[in-house]
Amino acid sequence: MRARKAIWINGVRTSLGINRGWGPKTPPILLFIAVMAPAVVISIMAVAAGNLEGLPSHDTYYEIISTLLVIFSAIIAPELLCSDRRDGVINLYLVRPLSPTDYVIGRWLAFLSVTLALAYLGQIVLFTGFVLAAEEPANYLRDNWLNVPRFLLAGLVVAIFTTTIPLTVSAFTTRRAYAAAFVIGLFIISVPVAGILTLCEEGRQLPIEPCRPPTGESAKWFALISLPDVPIHVNDLIFPEENSSEFAQLVAKLPSIIPITWYLLLTIGPGFVLWRRYSSISI
Amino acid sequence: MPYILEAKALTKHYGTSIALESVDFQINDGITGLLGPNGAGKSTTIKLFLGLIRPTSGSAEVFSKRPYESVESRSLLGYMPEHNCLPSSVTAAEFLTHMAQVSGIPPAHARTRAADILRHVGLNEERYRSIGEYSTGMKQRVKLAQALVHDPLIVLLDEPTAGLDPGGREEMLALVKRTGREFGISILLSSHFMGDVESICDRIIVLEGGCITKDGDVSLFTQETKTLDIDVDDHIEELLAALSKRSIAAIMDGLSVVVETESEEQYDAIRDAIVESGARLRRLAPRRHKLNDIFRMAPNE
Repeated sequence: MRARKAIWINGVRTSLGINRGWGPKTPPILLFIAVMAPAVVISIMAVAAGNLEGLPSHDTYYEIISTLLVIFSAIIAPELLCSDRRDGVINLYLVRPLSPTDYVIGRWLAFLSVTLALAYLGQIVLFTGFVLAAEEPANYLRDNWLNVPRFLLAGLVVAIFTTTIPLTVSAFTTRRAYAAAFVIGLFIISVPVAGILTLCEEGRQLPIEPCRPPTGESAKWFALISLPDVPIHVNDLIFPEENSSEFAQLVAKLPSIIPITWYLLLTIGPGFVLWRRYSSISI
Repeated sequence: MPYILEAKALTKHYGTSIALESVDFQINDGITGLLGPNGAGKSTTIKLFLGLIRPTSGSAEVFSKRPYESVESRSLLGYMPEHNCLPSSVTAAEFLTHMAQVSGIPPAHARTRAADILRHVGLNEERYRSIGEYSTGMKQRVKLAQALVHDPLIVLLDEPTAGLDPGGREEMLALVKRTGREFGISILLSSHFMGDVESICDRIIVLEGGCITKDGDVSLFTQETKTLDIDVDDHIEELLAALSKRSIAAIMDGLSVVVETESEEQYDAIRDAIVESGARLRRLAPRRHKLNDIFRMAPNE
Protein backbone atom coordinates (compact mmCIF):
# COMPACT_ATOMS: atom_id res chain seq x y z
CA MET A 1 0.00 0.00 0.00
CA ARG A 2 2.85 2.37 0.89
CA ALA A 3 4.55 1.60 -2.40
CA ARG A 4 1.43 2.44 -4.39
CA LYS A 5 0.90 5.63 -2.41
CA ALA A 6 4.52 6.63 -3.03
CA ILE A 7 4.06 6.14 -6.79
CA TRP A 8 0.89 8.26 -6.69
CA ILE A 9 2.46 11.10 -4.66
CA ASN A 10 5.58 11.08 -6.83
CA GLY A 11 3.38 11.21 -9.94
CA VAL A 12 1.51 14.28 -8.68
CA ARG A 13 4.77 16.03 -7.79
CA THR A 14 6.30 15.16 -11.16
CA SER A 15 3.22 16.44 -13.02
CA LEU A 16 3.38 19.77 -11.25
CA GLY A 17 7.18 20.06 -11.25
CA ILE A 18 7.29 20.21 -7.44
CA ASN A 19 10.88 20.11 -6.10
CA ARG A 20 12.23 20.41 -9.64
CA GLY A 21 14.05 23.22 -11.36
CA TRP A 22 12.26 25.96 -13.28
CA GLY A 23 12.47 23.93 -16.50
CA PRO A 24 10.04 21.17 -15.45
CA LYS A 25 8.04 23.62 -13.33
CA THR A 26 7.25 26.23 -15.99
CA PRO A 27 4.97 24.25 -18.38
CA PRO A 28 2.54 23.11 -15.67
CA ILE A 29 2.42 26.63 -14.17
CA LEU A 30 1.71 28.27 -17.54
CA LEU A 31 -0.84 25.66 -18.53
CA PHE A 32 -2.46 25.87 -15.10
CA ILE A 33 -2.84 29.63 -15.52
CA ALA A 34 -4.26 29.14 -19.01
CA VAL A 35 -6.81 26.59 -17.83
CA MET A 36 -7.86 28.67 -14.84
CA ALA A 37 -8.03 31.95 -16.73
CA PRO A 38 -11.53 31.48 -18.25
CA ALA A 39 -13.05 30.75 -14.83
CA VAL A 40 -11.34 33.76 -13.26
CA VAL A 41 -12.32 36.08 -16.13
CA ILE A 42 -15.95 34.91 -16.15
CA SER A 43 -16.16 35.28 -12.35
CA ILE A 44 -14.70 38.81 -12.46
CA MET A 45 -17.10 39.76 -15.24
CA ALA A 46 -20.01 38.36 -13.24
CA VAL A 47 -19.02 40.22 -10.07
CA ALA A 48 -18.31 43.43 -11.98
CA ALA A 49 -21.59 43.30 -13.93
CA GLY A 50 -23.59 42.22 -10.90
CA ASN A 51 -25.59 39.70 -12.93
CA LEU A 52 -25.05 36.44 -14.74
CA GLU A 53 -27.00 37.20 -17.90
CA GLY A 54 -25.24 36.06 -21.07
CA LEU A 55 -22.23 34.62 -19.27
CA PRO A 56 -21.03 31.05 -19.75
CA SER A 57 -21.96 28.88 -16.81
CA HIS A 58 -21.07 25.51 -15.29
CA ASP A 59 -22.66 23.58 -18.16
CA THR A 60 -20.42 25.17 -20.81
CA TYR A 61 -17.27 25.61 -18.72
CA TYR A 62 -15.75 22.22 -19.61
CA GLU A 63 -16.46 22.88 -23.28
CA ILE A 64 -14.49 26.13 -22.99
CA ILE A 65 -11.48 24.54 -21.31
CA SER A 66 -11.53 21.10 -22.96
CA THR A 67 -8.96 22.04 -25.61
CA LEU A 68 -6.71 23.64 -22.97
CA LEU A 69 -7.07 20.55 -20.79
CA VAL A 70 -6.09 18.34 -23.72
CA ILE A 71 -2.99 20.49 -24.37
CA PHE A 72 -2.14 20.38 -20.66
CA SER A 73 -2.49 16.59 -20.57
CA ALA A 74 -0.64 16.07 -23.84
CA ILE A 75 2.36 18.05 -22.60
CA ILE A 76 2.47 16.97 -18.94
CA ALA A 77 1.29 13.31 -18.99
CA PRO A 78 4.30 11.97 -20.97
CA GLU A 79 6.58 13.19 -18.17
CA LEU A 80 5.06 10.52 -15.94
CA LEU A 81 5.74 7.50 -18.12
CA CYS A 82 8.26 8.42 -20.84
CA SER A 83 10.94 9.67 -18.43
CA ASP A 84 10.83 6.55 -16.26
CA ARG A 85 11.41 4.34 -19.27
CA ARG A 86 13.95 6.62 -20.95
CA ASP A 87 16.03 7.01 -17.77
CA GLY A 88 15.64 3.33 -16.81
CA VAL A 89 13.98 4.15 -13.46
CA ILE A 90 11.25 1.68 -14.39
CA ASN A 91 13.88 -1.06 -13.83
CA LEU A 92 14.11 -0.01 -10.20
CA TYR A 93 10.35 0.15 -9.68
CA LEU A 94 9.78 -3.32 -11.07
CA VAL A 95 12.21 -4.95 -8.63
CA ARG A 96 10.46 -3.45 -5.63
CA PRO A 97 7.33 -4.79 -3.93
CA LEU A 98 5.22 -3.38 -6.72
CA SER A 99 3.67 -5.03 -9.75
CA PRO A 100 3.63 -3.32 -13.16
CA THR A 101 -0.13 -2.95 -12.70
CA ASP A 102 0.39 -1.17 -9.36
CA TYR A 103 2.86 1.14 -11.06
CA VAL A 104 0.68 2.08 -14.00
CA ILE A 105 -2.44 2.50 -11.86
CA GLY A 106 -0.45 4.72 -9.47
CA ARG A 107 0.69 6.89 -12.35
CA TRP A 108 -2.80 7.02 -13.86
CA LEU A 109 -4.35 8.02 -10.53
CA ALA A 110 -1.66 10.65 -10.02
CA PHE A 111 -2.39 12.34 -13.30
CA LEU A 112 -6.13 11.94 -12.84
CA SER A 113 -5.78 13.77 -9.50
CA VAL A 114 -4.05 16.66 -11.24
CA THR A 115 -6.53 16.97 -14.12
CA LEU A 116 -9.44 16.53 -11.71
CA ALA A 117 -8.10 19.28 -9.44
CA LEU A 118 -7.68 21.52 -12.46
CA ALA A 119 -11.22 20.84 -13.70
CA TYR A 120 -12.80 21.29 -10.27
CA LEU A 121 -10.80 24.37 -9.29
CA GLY A 122 -12.13 26.29 -12.28
CA GLN A 123 -15.70 25.29 -11.50
CA ILE A 124 -15.25 26.19 -7.84
CA VAL A 125 -13.90 29.63 -8.81
CA LEU A 126 -16.85 30.03 -11.16
CA PHE A 127 -19.36 28.96 -8.52
CA THR A 128 -17.81 31.31 -5.96
CA GLY A 129 -17.88 34.16 -8.49
CA PHE A 130 -21.56 33.52 -9.29
CA VAL A 131 -22.49 33.40 -5.60
CA LEU A 132 -20.72 36.71 -5.01
CA ALA A 133 -22.30 38.24 -8.11
CA ALA A 134 -25.82 37.19 -7.18
CA GLU A 135 -28.16 39.78 -5.63
CA GLU A 136 -29.17 37.22 -3.03
CA PRO A 137 -26.30 34.74 -2.56
CA ALA A 138 -28.39 32.51 -0.32
CA ASN A 139 -31.12 32.31 -2.96
CA TYR A 140 -28.53 31.54 -5.62
CA LEU A 141 -27.15 28.73 -3.50
CA ARG A 142 -30.64 27.33 -2.87
CA ASP A 143 -31.60 27.48 -6.54
CA ASN A 144 -28.33 26.24 -8.01
CA TRP A 145 -26.85 23.81 -5.49
CA LEU A 146 -27.50 20.93 -7.88
CA ASN A 147 -24.86 22.36 -10.19
CA VAL A 148 -22.21 21.23 -7.69
CA PRO A 149 -22.76 17.46 -7.99
CA ARG A 150 -23.27 17.98 -11.73
CA PHE A 151 -19.94 19.70 -12.28
CA LEU A 152 -18.25 17.18 -9.98
CA LEU A 153 -19.55 14.29 -12.09
CA ALA A 154 -18.89 16.04 -15.41
CA GLY A 155 -15.40 17.01 -14.22
CA LEU A 156 -14.66 13.38 -13.46
CA VAL A 157 -15.82 12.40 -16.96
CA VAL A 158 -13.59 15.04 -18.59
CA ALA A 159 -10.59 14.26 -16.36
CA ILE A 160 -10.69 10.49 -16.94
CA PHE A 161 -10.81 11.06 -20.70
CA THR A 162 -7.98 13.61 -20.80
CA THR A 163 -5.86 11.42 -18.51
CA THR A 164 -6.20 8.06 -20.19
CA ILE A 165 -5.52 8.82 -23.86
CA PRO A 166 -2.31 10.87 -23.35
CA LEU A 167 -0.95 8.29 -20.88
CA THR A 168 -1.69 5.46 -23.30
CA VAL A 169 0.13 7.25 -26.11
CA SER A 170 3.04 7.92 -23.72
CA ALA A 171 3.33 4.20 -23.04
CA PHE A 172 4.57 3.66 -26.60
CA THR A 173 7.48 6.08 -26.74
CA THR A 174 10.28 7.27 -24.52
CA ARG A 175 10.24 10.70 -26.18
CA ARG A 176 7.90 13.14 -24.47
CA ALA A 177 7.79 15.44 -27.49
CA TYR A 178 6.58 12.64 -29.77
CA ALA A 179 3.81 11.68 -27.36
CA ALA A 180 2.70 15.30 -26.89
CA ALA A 181 2.73 16.02 -30.63
CA PHE A 182 0.80 12.83 -31.39
CA VAL A 183 -1.93 13.55 -28.83
CA ILE A 184 -2.33 17.21 -29.82
CA GLY A 185 -2.30 16.25 -33.49
CA LEU A 186 -4.89 13.51 -32.95
CA PHE A 187 -7.26 15.81 -31.09
CA ILE A 188 -6.76 18.77 -33.43
CA ILE A 189 -7.18 16.75 -36.61
CA SER A 190 -10.32 15.01 -35.33
CA VAL A 191 -12.20 18.33 -35.12
CA PRO A 192 -11.94 19.43 -38.79
CA VAL A 193 -12.39 15.81 -39.92
CA ALA A 194 -15.66 15.67 -38.02
CA GLY A 195 -16.52 19.12 -39.33
CA ILE A 196 -15.97 18.20 -42.97
CA LEU A 197 -17.90 14.96 -42.64
CA THR A 198 -20.85 16.56 -40.87
CA LEU A 199 -21.07 19.20 -43.60
CA CYS A 200 -22.40 16.40 -45.79
CA GLU A 201 -25.57 16.31 -43.73
CA GLU A 202 -28.65 15.90 -45.85
CA GLY A 203 -30.13 19.12 -47.04
CA ARG A 204 -27.01 21.24 -46.56
CA GLN A 205 -25.14 22.87 -49.36
CA LEU A 206 -21.41 22.46 -49.57
CA PRO A 207 -19.20 24.95 -51.34
CA ILE A 208 -17.42 22.05 -52.99
CA GLU A 209 -19.02 19.60 -55.36
CA PRO A 210 -19.79 16.81 -55.38
CA CYS A 211 -20.64 16.00 -51.80
CA ARG A 212 -22.38 12.68 -51.54
CA PRO A 213 -23.21 11.83 -47.97
CA PRO A 214 -23.17 8.08 -47.31
CA THR A 215 -26.61 8.47 -45.78
CA GLY A 216 -28.59 11.48 -44.79
CA GLU A 217 -28.47 10.40 -41.19
CA SER A 218 -24.74 9.97 -41.00
CA ALA A 219 -23.81 13.48 -39.87
CA LYS A 220 -24.87 12.91 -36.28
CA TRP A 221 -22.62 9.88 -36.14
CA PHE A 222 -19.70 11.69 -37.74
CA ALA A 223 -20.01 14.38 -35.08
CA LEU A 224 -18.74 11.79 -32.61
CA ILE A 225 -15.34 11.80 -34.34
CA SER A 226 -14.36 15.14 -32.78
CA LEU A 227 -12.28 13.87 -29.85
CA PRO A 228 -12.27 16.98 -27.64
CA ASP A 229 -16.09 16.88 -27.76
CA VAL A 230 -16.44 13.24 -26.66
CA PRO A 231 -16.59 14.00 -22.90
CA ILE A 232 -18.57 17.17 -23.63
CA HIS A 233 -21.40 15.10 -25.10
CA VAL A 234 -21.60 13.24 -21.78
CA ASN A 235 -21.36 16.60 -19.98
CA ASP A 236 -24.39 17.74 -22.00
CA LEU A 237 -26.35 14.77 -20.67
CA ILE A 238 -25.43 15.67 -17.08
CA PHE A 239 -26.49 19.33 -17.30
CA PRO A 240 -30.10 20.07 -18.26
CA GLU A 241 -29.21 23.16 -20.33
CA GLU A 242 -29.09 22.71 -24.09
CA ASN A 243 -25.70 22.97 -25.79
CA SER A 244 -25.99 25.09 -28.91
CA SER A 245 -22.73 23.98 -30.58
CA GLU A 246 -23.06 22.27 -33.94
CA PHE A 247 -21.57 18.93 -32.89
CA ALA A 248 -23.63 18.89 -29.69
CA GLN A 249 -26.82 19.55 -31.66
CA LEU A 250 -26.06 16.68 -34.01
CA VAL A 251 -25.13 14.21 -31.26
CA ALA A 252 -28.28 15.21 -29.33
CA LYS A 253 -30.25 13.50 -32.09
CA LEU A 254 -28.68 10.18 -31.11
CA PRO A 255 -29.98 8.06 -28.22
CA SER A 256 -28.21 9.05 -24.97
CA ILE A 257 -26.59 5.63 -24.72
CA ILE A 258 -24.55 6.27 -27.88
CA PRO A 259 -22.35 9.17 -26.65
CA ILE A 260 -22.00 7.39 -23.30
CA THR A 261 -20.92 4.14 -24.97
CA TRP A 262 -18.59 6.02 -27.31
CA TYR A 263 -17.04 7.78 -24.30
CA LEU A 264 -16.62 4.48 -22.44
CA LEU A 265 -15.06 2.85 -25.51
CA LEU A 266 -12.56 5.67 -25.91
CA THR A 267 -11.69 5.54 -22.23
CA ILE A 268 -11.76 1.86 -21.32
CA GLY A 269 -10.14 0.85 -24.63
CA PRO A 270 -7.01 2.99 -24.25
CA GLY A 271 -7.00 2.19 -20.52
CA PHE A 272 -6.87 -1.52 -21.32
CA VAL A 273 -4.11 -0.97 -23.87
CA LEU A 274 -2.15 1.01 -21.28
CA TRP A 275 -2.53 -1.76 -18.71
CA ARG A 276 -1.58 -4.47 -21.21
CA ARG A 277 1.46 -2.50 -22.33
CA TYR A 278 2.78 -2.34 -18.78
CA SER A 279 1.66 -5.75 -17.56
CA SER A 280 3.86 -7.33 -20.22
CA ILE A 281 6.84 -5.01 -19.71
CA SER A 282 10.21 -6.64 -19.06
CA ILE A 283 13.60 -5.27 -18.05
CA MET B 1 16.99 -21.76 9.09
CA PRO B 2 16.16 -20.94 5.45
CA TYR B 3 18.81 -19.72 3.06
CA ILE B 4 18.73 -16.12 1.91
CA LEU B 5 18.86 -17.25 -1.70
CA GLU B 6 18.32 -20.80 -2.82
CA ALA B 7 18.22 -22.21 -6.34
CA LYS B 8 16.66 -25.67 -6.52
CA ALA B 9 17.11 -27.42 -9.85
CA LEU B 10 16.60 -23.99 -11.36
CA THR B 11 15.97 -24.22 -15.08
CA LYS B 12 15.06 -21.55 -17.58
CA HIS B 13 14.56 -22.13 -21.28
CA TYR B 14 13.75 -19.44 -23.82
CA GLY B 15 12.13 -21.49 -26.56
CA THR B 16 14.81 -23.93 -27.64
CA SER B 17 17.68 -22.00 -26.10
CA ILE B 18 18.78 -23.00 -22.62
CA ALA B 19 19.62 -20.12 -20.29
CA LEU B 20 19.91 -22.19 -17.09
CA GLU B 21 19.87 -25.96 -16.69
CA SER B 22 19.11 -27.53 -13.31
CA VAL B 23 21.22 -25.16 -11.24
CA ASP B 24 21.49 -25.71 -7.48
CA PHE B 25 23.13 -23.36 -5.00
CA GLN B 26 22.48 -21.65 -1.71
CA ILE B 27 23.67 -18.25 -0.50
CA ASN B 28 23.74 -17.03 3.05
CA ASP B 29 26.22 -14.58 4.52
CA GLY B 30 29.13 -12.87 2.88
CA ILE B 31 29.94 -11.65 -0.58
CA THR B 32 29.40 -14.11 -3.40
CA GLY B 33 30.67 -13.54 -6.91
CA LEU B 34 28.65 -14.79 -9.84
CA LEU B 35 31.09 -15.16 -12.68
CA GLY B 36 30.75 -16.17 -16.26
CA PRO B 37 31.07 -15.03 -19.83
CA ASN B 38 28.26 -13.26 -21.68
CA GLY B 39 25.33 -15.61 -22.17
CA ALA B 40 26.37 -17.85 -19.28
CA GLY B 41 23.09 -17.27 -17.43
CA LYS B 42 24.11 -14.62 -14.89
CA SER B 43 21.41 -12.10 -15.82
CA THR B 44 18.77 -14.84 -16.05
CA THR B 45 19.71 -16.00 -12.55
CA ILE B 46 19.36 -12.47 -11.19
CA LYS B 47 16.04 -11.92 -12.97
CA LEU B 48 14.70 -15.17 -11.52
CA PHE B 49 15.61 -14.14 -7.98
CA LEU B 50 14.12 -10.69 -8.55
CA GLY B 51 10.88 -12.35 -9.67
CA LEU B 52 10.91 -10.69 -13.07
CA ILE B 53 10.65 -13.99 -14.90
CA ARG B 54 9.37 -17.44 -13.94
CA PRO B 55 11.55 -20.52 -14.11
CA THR B 56 10.75 -23.25 -16.62
CA SER B 57 11.20 -25.71 -13.76
CA GLY B 58 12.74 -25.77 -10.31
CA SER B 59 12.61 -22.72 -8.07
CA ALA B 60 14.45 -19.55 -7.10
CA GLU B 61 13.66 -18.72 -3.48
CA VAL B 62 14.39 -15.70 -1.35
CA PHE B 63 14.12 -16.66 2.30
CA SER B 64 11.93 -19.60 1.24
CA LYS B 65 9.62 -17.29 -0.72
CA ARG B 66 9.29 -17.24 -4.47
CA PRO B 67 9.48 -13.63 -5.65
CA TYR B 68 7.69 -14.39 -8.92
CA GLU B 69 4.70 -15.55 -6.91
CA SER B 70 4.66 -12.74 -4.35
CA VAL B 71 6.06 -9.28 -5.07
CA GLU B 72 6.13 -8.59 -1.32
CA SER B 73 9.24 -10.76 -0.95
CA ARG B 74 11.12 -8.27 -3.12
CA SER B 75 11.39 -5.98 -0.10
CA LEU B 76 14.04 -8.45 1.15
CA LEU B 77 16.16 -7.74 -1.94
CA GLY B 78 18.14 -4.82 -3.22
CA TYR B 79 19.17 -4.56 -6.86
CA MET B 80 21.76 -2.43 -8.57
CA PRO B 81 21.42 -2.73 -12.35
CA GLU B 82 24.36 -2.43 -14.69
CA HIS B 83 22.79 0.17 -16.96
CA ASN B 84 21.65 3.68 -16.21
CA CYS B 85 18.56 3.78 -14.04
CA LEU B 86 18.65 7.24 -12.49
CA PRO B 87 16.50 10.29 -13.21
CA SER B 88 18.55 13.35 -14.04
CA SER B 89 16.33 16.16 -12.82
CA VAL B 90 15.94 15.21 -9.15
CA THR B 91 18.37 15.34 -6.24
CA ALA B 92 19.89 12.17 -4.83
CA ALA B 93 18.22 12.85 -1.48
CA GLU B 94 14.77 13.12 -3.03
CA PHE B 95 15.28 10.10 -5.27
CA LEU B 96 16.43 7.89 -2.44
CA THR B 97 13.62 9.03 -0.17
CA HIS B 98 11.14 8.14 -2.89
CA MET B 99 12.75 4.75 -3.50
CA ALA B 100 12.65 4.00 0.22
CA GLN B 101 8.93 4.79 0.26
CA VAL B 102 8.31 2.63 -2.79
CA SER B 103 10.02 -0.16 -0.85
CA GLY B 104 7.48 0.27 1.93
CA ILE B 105 9.31 2.52 4.41
CA PRO B 106 7.13 5.21 6.08
CA PRO B 107 7.80 8.76 4.72
CA ALA B 108 9.34 10.18 7.92
CA HIS B 109 11.72 7.25 8.29
CA ALA B 110 12.50 7.20 4.58
CA ARG B 111 14.08 10.67 4.66
CA THR B 112 16.39 9.74 7.55
CA ARG B 113 17.26 6.45 5.97
CA ALA B 114 18.11 8.14 2.65
CA ALA B 115 20.43 10.59 4.41
CA ASP B 116 22.18 7.76 6.29
CA ILE B 117 22.77 5.72 3.16
CA LEU B 118 24.01 8.69 1.16
CA ARG B 119 26.48 9.35 3.94
CA HIS B 120 27.55 5.70 3.82
CA VAL B 121 28.28 5.87 0.09
CA GLY B 122 30.13 9.17 0.47
CA LEU B 123 27.58 11.52 -1.06
CA ASN B 124 26.56 13.42 2.04
CA GLU B 125 27.78 16.79 0.76
CA GLU B 126 26.35 16.39 -2.73
CA ARG B 127 22.97 14.95 -1.82
CA TYR B 128 21.02 18.11 -2.74
CA ARG B 129 22.52 18.34 -6.22
CA SER B 130 20.65 17.04 -9.26
CA ILE B 131 21.77 13.55 -10.23
CA GLY B 132 22.26 14.79 -13.79
CA GLU B 133 25.24 16.83 -12.56
CA TYR B 134 26.98 13.80 -11.02
CA SER B 135 30.05 12.03 -12.39
CA THR B 136 29.85 8.36 -13.44
CA GLY B 137 31.39 7.28 -10.13
CA MET B 138 28.88 9.30 -8.14
CA LYS B 139 26.01 7.87 -10.16
CA GLN B 140 27.26 4.35 -9.41
CA ARG B 141 27.20 5.25 -5.73
CA VAL B 142 23.61 6.47 -6.00
CA LYS B 143 22.72 3.20 -7.73
CA LEU B 144 24.26 1.28 -4.86
CA ALA B 145 22.55 3.54 -2.32
CA GLN B 146 19.09 2.94 -3.80
CA ALA B 147 19.71 -0.81 -3.55
CA LEU B 148 20.51 -0.46 0.16
CA VAL B 149 18.03 2.21 1.22
CA HIS B 150 15.32 -0.20 2.41
CA ASP B 151 17.74 -2.32 4.44
CA PRO B 152 17.48 -5.54 2.38
CA LEU B 153 18.77 -8.94 3.46
CA ILE B 154 20.74 -9.29 0.26
CA VAL B 155 21.73 -7.02 -2.60
CA LEU B 156 22.24 -8.19 -6.15
CA LEU B 157 24.89 -6.09 -7.87
CA ASP B 158 25.09 -6.35 -11.63
CA GLU B 159 28.54 -5.25 -12.83
CA PRO B 160 28.95 -2.55 -10.15
CA THR B 161 32.26 -1.31 -11.54
CA ALA B 162 31.18 -1.05 -15.18
CA GLY B 163 32.27 2.21 -16.78
CA LEU B 164 34.52 3.28 -13.91
CA ASP B 165 38.19 4.27 -14.19
CA PRO B 166 40.71 2.24 -12.11
CA GLY B 167 40.49 4.67 -9.19
CA GLY B 168 36.71 4.63 -9.26
CA ARG B 169 36.73 0.83 -9.44
CA GLU B 170 38.89 0.58 -6.34
CA GLU B 171 36.59 2.95 -4.45
CA MET B 172 33.45 1.13 -5.52
CA LEU B 173 34.88 -2.26 -4.56
CA ALA B 174 35.96 -0.91 -1.18
CA LEU B 175 32.45 0.44 -0.69
CA VAL B 176 30.84 -2.86 -1.60
CA LYS B 177 33.19 -4.69 0.75
CA ARG B 178 32.45 -2.23 3.55
CA THR B 179 28.72 -2.60 2.92
CA GLY B 180 29.00 -6.36 3.28
CA ARG B 181 31.12 -6.19 6.41
CA GLU B 182 29.61 -3.21 8.28
CA PHE B 183 25.93 -3.61 7.44
CA GLY B 184 26.00 -7.39 7.47
CA ILE B 185 24.10 -7.40 4.18
CA SER B 186 24.74 -10.40 1.97
CA ILE B 187 25.88 -9.55 -1.51
CA LEU B 188 25.61 -11.39 -4.81
CA LEU B 189 27.92 -9.70 -7.28
CA SER B 190 27.68 -10.49 -10.95
CA SER B 191 30.79 -9.57 -12.86
CA HIS B 192 33.09 -10.59 -15.63
CA PHE B 193 36.04 -8.78 -14.01
CA MET B 194 38.04 -11.50 -12.24
CA GLY B 195 39.96 -8.88 -10.30
CA ASP B 196 36.79 -7.45 -8.79
CA VAL B 197 35.62 -10.84 -7.63
CA GLU B 198 39.03 -11.89 -6.35
CA SER B 199 39.51 -8.75 -4.30
CA ILE B 200 36.20 -8.67 -2.41
CA CYS B 201 34.35 -11.97 -2.67
CA ASP B 202 34.34 -14.76 -0.11
CA ARG B 203 32.91 -17.26 -2.53
CA ILE B 204 32.47 -17.62 -6.26
CA ILE B 205 29.96 -19.40 -8.42
CA VAL B 206 30.97 -19.83 -12.03
CA LEU B 207 28.29 -20.22 -14.68
CA GLU B 208 29.05 -21.43 -18.14
CA GLY B 209 26.43 -22.38 -20.70
CA GLY B 210 23.69 -22.25 -18.09
CA CYS B 211 25.42 -24.69 -15.71
CA ILE B 212 27.52 -24.22 -12.62
CA THR B 213 31.06 -25.25 -13.46
CA LYS B 214 32.74 -24.13 -10.24
CA ASP B 215 31.50 -23.21 -6.80
CA GLY B 216 33.53 -22.61 -3.67
CA ASP B 217 35.46 -20.21 -1.45
CA VAL B 218 37.77 -17.83 -3.29
CA SER B 219 40.68 -19.17 -1.25
CA LEU B 220 40.15 -22.59 -2.86
CA PHE B 221 40.73 -21.06 -6.26
CA THR B 222 43.73 -19.01 -5.24
CA GLN B 223 45.78 -21.75 -3.52
CA GLU B 224 49.56 -21.61 -3.40
CA THR B 225 51.43 -22.96 -6.40
CA LYS B 226 54.84 -24.62 -6.56
CA THR B 227 56.29 -21.47 -8.08
CA LEU B 228 58.43 -19.44 -5.70
CA ASP B 229 58.93 -15.68 -6.17
CA ILE B 230 62.22 -14.31 -4.81
CA ASP B 231 62.31 -10.49 -4.82
CA VAL B 232 65.76 -9.02 -4.20
CA ASP B 233 67.14 -5.48 -4.36
CA ASP B 234 70.55 -6.35 -5.92
CA HIS B 235 73.00 -9.14 -6.86
CA ILE B 236 70.47 -10.90 -9.11
CA GLU B 237 73.19 -12.40 -11.35
CA GLU B 238 75.04 -13.80 -8.30
CA LEU B 239 71.81 -15.27 -6.99
CA LEU B 240 71.08 -17.01 -10.30
CA ALA B 241 74.63 -18.44 -10.27
CA ALA B 242 74.30 -19.66 -6.67
CA LEU B 243 71.01 -21.35 -7.49
CA SER B 244 72.48 -22.95 -10.59
CA LYS B 245 75.41 -24.28 -8.54
CA ARG B 246 72.82 -26.09 -6.41
CA SER B 247 71.05 -27.50 -9.49
CA ILE B 248 68.00 -25.31 -9.00
CA ALA B 249 66.50 -24.03 -12.25
CA ALA B 250 65.59 -20.33 -11.99
CA ILE B 251 64.58 -17.59 -14.39
CA MET B 252 64.52 -13.80 -14.11
CA ASP B 253 61.16 -12.04 -14.18
CA GLY B 254 61.82 -8.31 -13.85
CA LEU B 255 63.36 -7.76 -10.44
CA SER B 256 62.22 -11.19 -9.26
CA VAL B 257 63.77 -14.58 -9.57
CA VAL B 258 61.24 -17.31 -10.21
CA VAL B 259 61.92 -20.87 -9.13
CA GLU B 260 59.80 -23.94 -9.82
CA THR B 261 60.20 -25.93 -6.60
CA GLU B 262 59.93 -29.68 -6.56
CA SER B 263 59.93 -30.24 -2.81
CA GLU B 264 60.11 -28.26 0.43
CA GLU B 265 63.68 -29.52 0.95
CA GLN B 266 64.76 -27.15 -1.81
CA TYR B 267 63.84 -24.17 0.43
CA ASP B 268 67.01 -24.72 2.52
CA ALA B 269 69.16 -24.73 -0.59
CA ILE B 270 67.47 -21.55 -1.87
CA ARG B 271 68.08 -19.85 1.50
CA ASP B 272 71.78 -20.83 1.30
CA ALA B 273 72.01 -19.53 -2.26
CA ILE B 274 70.59 -16.14 -1.21
CA VAL B 275 73.09 -15.88 1.64
CA GLU B 276 75.96 -16.88 -0.62
CA SER B 277 75.01 -14.34 -3.32
CA GLY B 278 74.92 -11.49 -0.83
CA ALA B 279 71.56 -10.27 -2.31
CA ARG B 280 69.29 -8.18 -0.10
CA LEU B 281 66.04 -10.13 0.16
CA ARG B 282 62.76 -8.24 0.02
CA ARG B 283 60.24 -11.06 -0.35
CA LEU B 284 60.25 -14.82 -0.63
CA ALA B 285 56.82 -16.33 -1.15
CA PRO B 286 55.06 -19.07 -3.08
CA ARG B 287 52.98 -17.68 -5.95
CA ARG B 288 49.17 -18.03 -5.70
CA HIS B 289 46.80 -18.96 -8.46
CA LYS B 290 44.97 -15.96 -9.91
CA LEU B 291 41.32 -16.39 -10.85
CA ASN B 292 42.27 -15.41 -14.36
CA ASP B 293 44.58 -18.45 -14.51
CA ILE B 294 41.82 -20.72 -13.24
CA PHE B 295 39.40 -19.63 -15.94
CA ARG B 296 41.92 -20.23 -18.66
CA MET B 297 41.70 -23.91 -17.69
CA ALA B 298 38.93 -26.16 -18.89
CA PRO B 299 35.78 -26.35 -16.74
CA ASN B 300 36.13 -28.45 -13.58
CA GLU B 301 39.78 -28.97 -14.31
